[in-house]
Amino acid sequence: MPRKVNYGVDYDDDYDEYDYGYEVEDNEETPPEQETIKRSVWRCAVCTYDNDETMSSCDICGVLRGPLLKNLTYDEKRAGFNSLAANIFYLKSSRVHSIVVGEDEAVKVSSKRLDSSDVSTAKDKHNRLDEITFNMQSSGKSLLSLMPKERNVMVANSSSSRNGGKAHDLASNLKNISFSAESGHSNDTNPGRANSYAQYKPEKWMLPGKTEHSLAQLNLAIVGHVDSGKSTLSGRLLHLLGRISQKDMQKYEKESKLQGKGSFAYAWALDESAEERERGITMTVAVAYFDSKIYHVVVLDSPGHKDFVPNMITGATQADAAILVIDASIGSFEAGMDGTKGQTREHAQLIRSFGVDQLIVAVNKMDVVDYSKDRFDLIILQLGTFLRSCGFKDSSVSWIPLSAAKNQNLVSAPSDFRLSWYHGPNLLDTIDSFQPPPRDFSKPLLMPICDVIKSSSQGQVSACGKLEAGALRSGSKVLVMPSAIIATVRSLERDSQPCTIGRAGDNVAVSLHGVDANHVLAGGVLCHPDFPVAFAKHLELKVLVLDVATPILIGSQLEFHIHHAKESARVARISSLLDSKTGKVAKKAPRCIVAKQSAVVEVTLHEAVCVEEFSKCKALGRVFLRTLGRTVAVGIVTRIVEV
Amino acid sequence: MKVLHRDVVPNGPGVVKLVPVDSDDLWLVYNLIATGDRVMAVTFRKVLRAKSGGKNSERVAMKLEIEVEAMDYDKEGAVLRIKGKNILQNEYVTIGAFHTLQLQLCRPFVLTKETWDSLALDVLHQASDPGATADLAVVLMQEGLANILLVGRSVTITSSRIEASIPRKHGPAIVGYESALKTFFENVVQAFIKHVDFNVIRCAVIASPGFTKDQFHRHLLLEAERKQVRPIIENKSRIILVQTSSGYKHSLREVLDAPSVMKMIKDTKAAEEVRTFRDFFDMLSNDPARACYGPKHVGIAHERLAVQTLLITDDLFRSSDVKTRQKYEDLVKEVKKAGGIAHIFSSMHVSGEELAQLTGIAAILRIPLPDLDDIEM
Repeated sequence: MPRKVNYGVDYDDDYDEYDYGYEVEDNEETPPEQETIKRSVWRCAVCTYDNDETMSSCDICGVLRGPLLKNLTYDEKRAGFNSLAANIFYLKSSRVHSIVVGEDEAVKVSSKRLDSSDVSTAKDKHNRLDEITFNMQSSGKSLLSLMPKERNVMVANSSSSRNGGKAHDLASNLKNISFSAESGHSNDTNPGRANSYAQYKPEKWMLPGKTEHSLAQLNLAIVGHVDSGKSTLSGRLLHLLGRISQKDMQKYEKESKLQGKGSFAYAWALDESAEERERGITMTVAVAYFDSKIYHVVVLDSPGHKDFVPNMITGATQADAAILVIDASIGSFEAGMDGTKGQTREHAQLIRSFGVDQLIVAVNKMDVVDYSKDRFDLIILQLGTFLRSCGFKDSSVSWIPLSAAKNQNLVSAPSDFRLSWYHGPNLLDTIDSFQPPPRDFSKPLLMPICDVIKSSSQGQVSACGKLEAGALRSGSKVLVMPSAIIATVRSLERDSQPCTIGRAGDNVAVSLHGVDANHVLAGGVLCHPDFPVAFAKHLELKVLVLDVATPILIGSQLEFHIHHAKESARVARISSLLDSKTGKVAKKAPRCIVAKQSAVVEVTLHEAVCVEEFSKCKALGRVFLRTLGRTVAVGIVTRIVEV
Repeated sequence: MKVLHRDVVPNGPGVVKLVPVDSDDLWLVYNLIATGDRVMAVTFRKVLRAKSGGKNSERVAMKLEIEVEAMDYDKEGAVLRIKGKNILQNEYVTIGAFHTLQLQLCRPFVLTKETWDSLALDVLHQASDPGATADLAVVLMQEGLANILLVGRSVTITSSRIEASIPRKHGPAIVGYESALKTFFENVVQAFIKHVDFNVIRCAVIASPGFTKDQFHRHLLLEAERKQVRPIIENKSRIILVQTSSGYKHSLREVLDAPSVMKMIKDTKAAEEVRTFRDFFDMLSNDPARACYGPKHVGIAHERLAVQTLLITDDLFRSSDVKTRQKYEDLVKEVKKAGGIAHIFSSMHVSGEELAQLTGIAAILRIPLPDLDDIEM
């Protein structure tokens, strides 16, 4: 079985190399001794298998974890205290265990998760990131409130709030368990259900077997300035790899010539609507599939126009890797690199903040510049510095000169002699050289809905999107948020072919049964019924302001983008300014934040959106703030302030 | 607003008789009246009459004069409610009894004030000025969302807001996309016909990112032709298309900034407000030490005679505390005297709303004051 990988807690993963000097942010509250108790793997005493931190029982043999409990799902800080409390509760665990087993189909449950939550209440004043506890304490809400997934914390917190803050009250624990046991049987969603996040045990079918699928999934976003050749490149690739039949291709060529857009013949494979074809642009993200030697690739062809960046955001949020297409012709490259009007920069920054660190820069239209090596080198020089400042490591960026129109260097070595100075791999090989991205198979189901297709003929509703965590198969029950309705999966489709199981990382269309089409909306989330995702209007974000002209003041109206949802938002408060280098609070309540500064702000949205803290789910915790047609800030959700 | 009778001593007591004509005027009246003033109008009151056969309550029309204690402005309903104690001798209502007057459009009323300060006189003057109305109808849209706004002289009203969920357009779902889009446009056209009255407004603006506005414009004209909607067909030339970055309400600022629209409304208050606000923002981004906001900072800046342009919302003038009102009025006067400009933003306009969220008072300074940063807001 493969070793399960841990990811870092903070979003510094993605931002630590920004040129603004924004470095790895250590939690300042982390006491020094916690450094050694990092998120690591623990070794099962029986079968000596290395388990992930989040697992409370061994994956292979099912043995419950020993008394020295390491940290909880998200927070190393609790680790030290946990071990104390764990000893107290170890003996009681069996009793609690049985009750919980009754209500949850996940069999092996760790009761010890609950104790740590108790401890956390004592600790919560130390936990700045432990906002859920903070919220629970301060608001004193009951379990029925819509709160994020850290169930175990909620259990203890509400108990302690009910019992006047007594930390080690097992009776209250049991009360809570029985409470959640009752609520577990209600079919309508009780979003505040106190289920320990770590109690979730993925079923066997959810985890990928080694033999089952030989090709791993890779979601590839194609971005770049307008008219750089993204759609043509994708169309060409699909054609060369046999995904588009010759007959279709001829049809596109004929029709495009009729409309006077002969050069767009390949792009028409992806731009299917009349509007897009007429104007010769891509307006929304087109999804296509092809197979390379190692990967089953999902191509997300994005629009390049300034006005359609919101569409590009919702599309590229699913990406694991990206191709940045550059137009090599004289003048076009410079136009793309322009700070205000060009999209090359904005797309590169956005892609980086999606957490993508593997990038191919495809320098397209080389035929126009006669495959000149000098031009290629010049582009590498200029763009390279910029990418470095965004945070892309030089080693994870590949540069490929090609020509989509003339089919040079796409799937085979270039045939044109003028390109013979290039000895590197072609595009397809470079795609194969990508590292497989880590997937969250063992977390509860989470799938942000990208698109909703209603087929009124059969009364079916299909939700399309990429599975961020967990797995699905026909017959499983899912919770549709934000309408909070439970539906059943009728069938799954991937690449227009039905499939039985969809796992984290797969881009699928889920046909749902039991829910009205009006309740499934793009921007919503499909999640596990027992682990509902939170939705809120008032959020605390940690943002990094990009180098744009307008400063952000209190009361600024911005557009808020998160996974596939977008809302109008207002900056309610600027809590503090963070020092870009150390991440520590530099100034409390500043007047405004200007370019290249990072700050903690609170925003109020017009309508509630489904959101998760970044530390829990990266895909649902990344936010983008835009205004006046430009992206002004990128950030993460640190805390959900209230619903 | 029609001023029927006027007998005012500047900075002294006075009486005016007014008839508000549109919702803008009601807003001006709202700004004009302060607690302690006296308003006389025709109103209805339920009166209990002991008649044969039991108690009877009738609604009787009567003229009441009340001393203002509280006010409530209803933007959408275009009504201004004034609550206060009765001070006129009346057979049905005793002196000292509470009553709420409802000031409606086209109903005259008499306003008596103790002190007609310069601001009040300003408002009165503005009210009786027939020209200089912005009067713009704006359709702000993006795919799946449309806001129809009426920008008046001092008020911006959201007439309607239409939301629809429009699916993506590739593969088999293209048909769904087309039909969903069509339904959405239908709804917007209906709302457009209902709320946009070309007799009142100067021009209509359709604004959106991308190409939605062109699609909608085409659709609108086709529908007008098909259904023979006369007003739209005749006023085809008065429909302007503007590019914005989103369909949300705050993009109205961008619409008003656009040169084609600016040309139409350049002499109006709304345009001026937008311009000034933009200047403030530019100053804040280019040279943050020369712009400040918040009463404390602005106060300090004013003490040092550094204020060049003062931006203030009329919200602050409406505080019931006479002293605060006086303070802001003095501030405005002093800034004007020192050679600066004071802009009073209507908080019902888009830029006024944004300014209100920034505490309601801001200033562009003559000289940079970097140490303002250190002083707590």
